[in-house]
Amino acid sequence: MDIDFQAILKTYVAESEEHLVRMEESLIGLETYPEDQKFLEAIFRGAHTIKGNAAGLGFPKVSEFAHAFEELLQQLRNRVLPVTKETITLLLRSVDALRQMIPDAIAGAKEIGPEHQALLAQLINKNAAPAEKQRPPTPQDTKPSQQPVRRRREDFHALVERADTVRVDIQKLDRMLNLAGEIAVAHGRLRQALETPTHPIDEALEAHGQLERLSLDLQEQIMKARMVPVGPIFRQYIRTVRDVAQASGKVARLLIQGDDVEIDLSMVEKLKDPLTHMIRNALDHGIEAPEVRRTKGKDPCGSITLKALHDGASIVIELIDDGAGINRNLIAARVRSMGVVAEPEQLSDQELFNFIFEPGFSTAEKITDLSGRGVGMDVVRRNIETLRGTVGVASRPDNGTTITIRLPLTLAIIEGFGVGIGDETYVLPLHAVLECIELPAEERHNNSSRGVINLRGHPLPYIRLRDWFGLTSPRPARENIVVIEVGRVKAGLAVDMLYGARQTVIKPLGKRFQELSAIAGSAILGNGRVALILDVPGLMREVIRAHGELGGSENESQGFLTARNDGPTPVRYH
Amino acid sequence: MNEGHNTTDQTQYLTFHIAGEEYAVGILRVKEIITYGTLTTVPQTPPSIRGVINLRGSVVPVVDLAVKFGLPTSPVTDRTCIVIVELNFGAEPTVMGIMADSVSEVVELFSDDILPAPPFGTHVNTDFLRGMGKAGAKFVLILDIDKVLSASDIINPVSLGAAQPGLVSGAGG
Repeated sequence: MDIDFQAILKTYVAESEEHLVRMEESLIGLETYPEDQKFLEAIFRGAHTIKGNAAGLGFPKVSEFAHAFEELLQQLRNRVLPVTKETITLLLRSVDALRQMIPDAIAGAKEIGPEHQALLAQLINKNAAPAEKQRPPTPQDTKPSQQPVRRRREDFHALVERADTVRVDIQKLDRMLNLAGEIAVAHGRLRQALETPTHPIDEALEAHGQLERLSLDLQEQIMKARMVPVGPIFRQYIRTVRDVAQASGKVARLLIQGDDVEIDLSMVEKLKDPLTHMIRNALDHGIEAPEVRRTKGKDPCGSITLKALHDGASIVIELIDDGAGINRNLIAARVRSMGVVAEPEQLSDQELFNFIFEPGFSTAEKITDLSGRGVGMDVVRRNIETLRGTVGVASRPDNGTTITIRLPLTLAIIEGFGVGIGDETYVLPLHAVLECIELPAEERHNNSSRGVINLRGHPLPYIRLRDWFGLTSPRPARENIVVIEVGRVKAGLAVDMLYGARQTVIKPLGKRFQELSAIAGSAILGNGRVALILDVPGLMREVIRAHGELGGSENESQGFLTARNDGPTPVRYH
Repeated sequence: MNEGHNTTDQTQYLTFHIAGEEYAVGILRVKEIITYGTLTTVPQTPPSIRGVINLRGSVVPVVDLAVKFGLPTSPVTDRTCIVIVELNFGAEPTVMGIMADSVSEVVELFSDDILPAPPFGTHVNTDFLRGMGKAGAKFVLILDIDKVLSASDIINPVSLGAAQPGLVSGAGG
């Protein structure tokens, strides 16, 4: 496939997806407001564009399908056919079919699959138009060799799977170019100032300062170019809400707020799964059946709100439902039966509800008995943590539940905290670092790879990062402890040196190192060396797991969690 | 498999030494050769991955093929180099570094000069070799770097010729 054509196909796929999403959205709108012509028009435009493009690129089957789709819309538009739930469902299924058909066609499939064929027949039937176009597939057509199609389809998916292209306003690019030019000039100035020994040092410093400002400016501009609005991402869930609600005999709608808030492009993919999970949970466990809602005096149609907003240096995404809320007693009972906390009833709502994010909690057998949303919420938390975000939950009985996700503005830069072990430097995300203390003298002789120190009356377990990472450099006389906190767990990392906070540009380490749960990425230090950025939650999970495997029983590893003093309610874990 | 050359063509290869043996890589795959600087070790990786370096802003992993082939590793000297190569696996090209005790020369080999690697006798699993190149009086082992480096987590069993006791320096761990 030559490169130009491939580029065209790529654009075609991206555009088609945009149209399909918009068509879906409008179809659901049409279902709610069958009289509103603007939805029909929007769907019509999308289908028409897909049809035209498919014909132009030589995908006759896609074009044929889109044509049948369009015909049916025409009938609706002319009021020959009424807008019914059944028709909408047929059209939505056709949108799904188109979504599959387009990549297949690009991969070289000359025919459409039998189920799509059936759908096409349904569309044509509905149109009651002469079915001359529907021609039974000849055996020759139906056996495009499976193997190559599949392989190329994978290639193709590799092409489009990640939304790795971004449209940038030409003015933004011009601004970047301008800055790059100014940086070149400033470099010249600095060089000149340095090369002339008689020049006062002030001049060099000033040139350097200017260079720094310009570089920061450029960095900011580039960051901005990476941002995309959340609206299109949120709107994909309109369909999810409709389908899931219908499947579970409920009625619900999705409201979207703050759709112009922008997030880093690289977050988009990683947000999709958690959001799907959360929305499914809200529908499964939160929103009640219409009759129940009526008896509670609520609107029988439940509402789920997806909201995005800026808050300081983070982006907040909230999922608010007006359902039944989390049943505190059931959670408490479950926590008690797990034996993690002796008196779960004493915990604040906040503390108690956070248990739904615990991995053990969600996979428990009786989870379906809980009204709380346990299923897969640990996965949500883990995904959000990989984005260096946090997730929290608040709920009031019969008023509903709000799940709040906090994400950093960008994934490209973090506030880091540098520590040194021998020659190696490691960077910890600053938000995970609570404080630093010197390793107490009595612990210096502890040659074990871990231990427990007394932190103002609370036991603080720590590990020696040197031993954990298998570094062979000799241990210095004095060591320091960085106190970190992950979720509810406080722990210490023993290191040699503390280098302090610094802004760190994250460099990906590449696929080869993806499996390393303790390493999040890398950064380049002032001296040109590479420093590894630690994934603190990942590291802690590893440590706790290893502790369990090393003969510590389940209870003992829970004992790792004992060190906490972050709430007014003292909590004791077994 | 051939890098776009037919039987009459000649191709340039870069040769370098690892653990006393001379290896070759098609020159089109070599991006650059840099002197050995400080590596950052990455914990929990196989010993054959010596660490990562900063190559003008990109982080590039460096592989020690001696460890991978089960050969004794040589101490770092001022002739130690990192050969930066470009690999094709998956859709995107990947850049990696290979530690070399020294880089020797660029040789031109006709495809007639490249003989299939014998099934045993070399230090290297023949799957990793494209063949043996006849450069003058000596043979060089032509590496199939895509294969060698894509399977970089697997440490190969020590082949017969490498069973020389007492030479393992213990580095690279």
